[in-house]
Amino acid sequence: MNRRFLRPAICLLAISLGVPPSQFSSASQPDVLLTSMQRELQRATAALAKANPAPYYISYTAADINATVIFGISGSIAVSNSIQRRQADVIMRVGSAALDNTHSKSRGSGIMSSTLPLSDNPDAIGRVLWQLTDREYEQASAAFLKVKTNTAVQSEEEDKSPDFSEEPAKNHLNDAKAKVSVDQKAWENRIRTVSGAFLKYPEIYSSVVYLQVSATRSYLATSEGTALVHPSEISRLVIQGETRADDGMELLRVETFQAATPGQLPSDTELRAKVDRIASDLKALKNAPAAEPYAGPAMLSGRASAVFFHEVLGHRLEGHRQKDQSEGQTFTKKVNQRVLPEFLSVTDDPTLKELNGIGLAGTYDFDDEGVPAERVVAVENGVLKNFLMSRMPITNFSHSNGHGRRQPGLMPTGRQGNLVVTSTKSVSDSELRAKFVEEIKKQGKPYGLYFEDIQGGFTLTQRALPQAFQVIPVMVWRVYADGRPDELVRGVDIVGTPLLSLNNIILTGDKLQVFNGVCGAESGQVPVSAAAPAMLFSEIEVQKKNKGTDRPPLMPPPGGDQNPAPLTEKAAVKAPSKAESQAEGKAKP
Amino acid sequence: MSAIFHSFRHSFRLRDFHCTLMFIFVLGVAAALCAVPASAQDKSEKALSASAKAAASDPVLAAMREELERSKAHLKMENIAAPYYIEYSVLDLDEYDAEAAFGALRQKQRTHGRSARVVVRVGDYKLDSYYGPGTGFADLAPLEDDATALRHQLWLATDQAYKAASQALAAKKAVFSQFSSGQPFDDFAAAPALQSIGAWAKLNFNPAPWDAMLEKATDLFRTDPKIQSLTSLLRFRAVNRYFVNTEGTVTRKGYTVYFMNLSGATQADDGMRLERSPYYSTGSLKELPTAEAFQADAVKMVTTLKALREAPMVDEEYRGPVLFSNDAASDVFYGMIGENVLGRRPKPGDSSRTEGEFASSYKSRVLPNTISVIDDPTLTVFDGKTLIGSYDIDDEGVRAAKVSVIENGELVNYLVGREPIRDFPESNGHGRAAPAQAPTPNMGNLIVSSKQAISAEDIKKKLIEICRQENKPYGYRVETLAGYSPRLLFRVYEKDGREELVRGAEFNELDTRALRNDLVAVGNDALVSNREGQIPMTVISPSILFDEIEVKRTDAKNAKLPEYPPPDLVPSH
Repeated sequence: MNRRFLRPAICLLAISLGVPPSQFSSASQPDVLLTSMQRELQRATAALAKANPAPYYISYTAADINATVIFGISGSIAVSNSIQRRQADVIMRVGSAALDNTHSKSRGSGIMSSTLPLSDNPDAIGRVLWQLTDREYEQASAAFLKVKTNTAVQSEEEDKSPDFSEEPAKNHLNDAKAKVSVDQKAWENRIRTVSGAFLKYPEIYSSVVYLQVSATRSYLATSEGTALVHPSEISRLVIQGETRADDGMELLRVETFQAATPGQLPSDTELRAKVDRIASDLKALKNAPAAEPYAGPAMLSGRASAVFFHEVLGHRLEGHRQKDQSEGQTFTKKVNQRVLPEFLSVTDDPTLKELNGIGLAGTYDFDDEGVPAERVVAVENGVLKNFLMSRMPITNFSHSNGHGRRQPGLMPTGRQGNLVVTSTKSVSDSELRAKFVEEIKKQGKPYGLYFEDIQGGFTLTQRALPQAFQVIPVMVWRVYADGRPDELVRGVDIVGTPLLSLNNIILTGDKLQVFNGVCGAESGQVPVSAAAPAMLFSEIEVQKKNKGTDRPPLMPPPGGDQNPAPLTEKAAVKAPSKAESQAEGKAKP
Repeated sequence: MSAIFHSFRHSFRLRDFHCTLMFIFVLGVAAALCAVPASAQDKSEKALSASAKAAASDPVLAAMREELERSKAHLKMENIAAPYYIEYSVLDLDEYDAEAAFGALRQKQRTHGRSARVVVRVGDYKLDSYYGPGTGFADLAPLEDDATALRHQLWLATDQAYKAASQALAAKKAVFSQFSSGQPFDDFAAAPALQSIGAWAKLNFNPAPWDAMLEKATDLFRTDPKIQSLTSLLRFRAVNRYFVNTEGTVTRKGYTVYFMNLSGATQADDGMRLERSPYYSTGSLKELPTAEAFQADAVKMVTTLKALREAPMVDEEYRGPVLFSNDAASDVFYGMIGENVLGRRPKPGDSSRTEGEFASSYKSRVLPNTISVIDDPTLTVFDGKTLIGSYDIDDEGVRAAKVSVIENGELVNYLVGREPIRDFPESNGHGRAAPAQAPTPNMGNLIVSSKQAISAEDIKKKLIEICRQENKPYGYRVETLAGYSPRLLFRVYEKDGREELVRGAEFNELDTRALRNDLVAVGNDALVSNREGQIPMTVISPSILFDEIEVKRTDAKNAKLPEYPPPDLVPSH
């Protein structure tokens, strides 16, 4: 299901195919797109004020996107395309801030999307926006009548906060041009080379090297007077290798590199070394024993802890979940109560640009509702203090703190940016490991589990379902009490319930590690970061991974030896290596 | 409420990329192919050497055939039968899309992609694994003629297809065991080996003048403030398909299709939404309208929208003669005849001959006995127009055949692929596939004709004559349809033959029964109607006259008019 969830994102990127990017709005003169948006917005605001019911808030957003996508497989290019597109959304709120068309389940009635002309043609831009506004008004006004009826008929809601918060208007026009200068031919060659490096490893059945470079100029104009223009650039290079163990378990290793521009991505030598690393990891995993269900002491690397906190805590701190009556609301009534061990604090800080020299993916100046990003201290010394707020107020939290985020085409909700977990009870890596072994011995277990790297995770926050989370580790080691070398195992998923698991943390490392990724939820895919130190848990529960049953390929890959000999080797037992990549802040205790 | 997942990942699967292919491959149409037919080969050995020779002429075919031979020789699981048949197809799609709205382009994109599809069959021709997941696997293929990368993709897809096939065969046998009667036909029709390397189809054009045509046409919104939407798009596409199978068939064929449309919307004063969307679909660039002609058509469309806005509503009730123009009739024949003569096998346990409405109409009258219908993919040009439904070899490697489907009103044949249906054990070359999909029986060039065709003038006279007989002040003539609803409908007055545009009409009981019983005249004005889509097809149809069709007022509720007027035009522009 996780995989299915990921699809829309990939599709979205995949539409990114086409013609070399060219035009940018000239930043030195008045921006035609912005002035056209503002002119039409003004007209809409004035005209619709006379309608019944009337909107009290209208916003126009445009995302002027230039993107290039290149896919390499087996040393060859499978996709290489560029696109320019201007996506526009009209968001409208009919009624009043106390009760409007977006109330509760009717949230989707607040938005209508289309694409705008690629050139700065004010008449064409004006017409598309007019048409879109008219359609959105038709939808929003009908929805508002339904909301009013439903509210009258249904029992009183627990959280009586208004539907929209009042915030000061902001004007910030960043003239900087988002530039996407990607030499497509040169990158095709580089990707061919990097992807071709996988051909040395016949046991890696399937691999992808994927580059996405995008430059976006985002526009926001609202009936409250906010006008924002800002550029953003992101380049992501993903290397992924896949194989299958003899019992059918699918094994996947992924390395992601992220930078503002493609020029800042690692060199070919580094990338090829990463391919070698993925191949050796997969080979080791393929031959590693399958893990057994286990509950006992565990140590999570910083990256693993970061994903753990993103899923287990972060999503449950998103403001709108405290209001939605179908949500589990684990923390809604725990404000000023202890929810974590008191040595832990958690902030979400979109204004933080980098950590330990690593660029953070969840950085922004203004959120998608035009509210300046704020550093939010969510948990202070174990005590819950704040939520990640969009402009949807909740009991005792009546304002946004700049966490209203979305992907174009969807309504914003409270989302994470850069989630940072800090600790006052931290020790060096070697000491943490010593404490880990001590804990294993204390509990009389033969071994504990060390989670070195994870692929991602997901969580369920809805009330109708168990409050569960899952973190999907890929490099997990058994650390033996008797001092034997660590042993790699495969096929474990961390499972558990939030409140219990968080309070099993007994000690942390002293270095923050960063996980950059893409997070998906109701308001779409947004780039996020999570950072945390390594953590020692008195108990973590793992379950067997739901694995495929297909055998590895029957024949060897083409081109080589025609003898279909099975591709197996002796089980590898290795101690965790010291020389780890620092590409995304990965390090080992 | 469905569960909401909050996921956090940075990996993805290539397989997820299939949705892309679905996006990219919103398909088109066929031009004439210049395949070199090979002489029939009876002996499989001879066929194999001929296929090797054919494959050698193209690096992609050579790589496909090499991997195919390797799979044929080595693919075998313990306790599971080896495949008896394997096929590989690779589709190369090069496409240019552009769209303009209100005088400005908002999309402009050239896309090039390749996909590979593998079918592995376990069992035998009588009963095999072609069922559910056993119908094949598709994946991305390298864009470049890179044998290593292509074979790697084929290797993985073959492995998956074989494993799925072995499971599908077991599942199929289990399903069949629930039904007492056995299947009176084979699962897979044998077909002779065929080698044919067609010319490579490519797009060769300069986009600028075409983009300009879209912008100029949609800029006409300035001439009428009541035009609410005015867009125009084009889609030029070159599709090449490689195919090899273990029977020794090796083919490569290509086609191009060029599509343009205009689309406008307005609202009448009472709120009724009115739309027009004329299009052009051709097999050669030369057959598209010139810039002048395209602009003239755009002007005409805008004028027609205005006329529609001002046109009277249809009367609440009408039952009487309706004349369908050749354009409108082609939609009717496509949907009500074409779709129903496809030999698509129903689900196991269903004893019908096909899935369509004509499942039990074999050897029965389905049209008046003056009308015949053929499907002839081998016809490449009609009335000077390239037929995009043309092909010489279908997507299952079978030579296309001209099929007489309805003779003098009687259904005598179905369009079939390599999946036999009752009484039709062999393919007649109509197995056609949308990109990355399994082939199914489809139309090529569906041609409707009558041995008593009359001129356009006479068919209108006949309409008036029926009105006179039935004492009706007017009959109806429909010019063009959207679905089966009239877009442009005219009253034709009995008194003087005058035509009056009306709006707000829907047909009632326009169905296969009406085609069989109420069709009283056919024109001699056959029109080529190319239908661009996932699988390009052509319908050639004359105008037709029904003596009785019910025309009623639409039930659709009128929309509100815009709350405020459109923006004034910026003076400096």
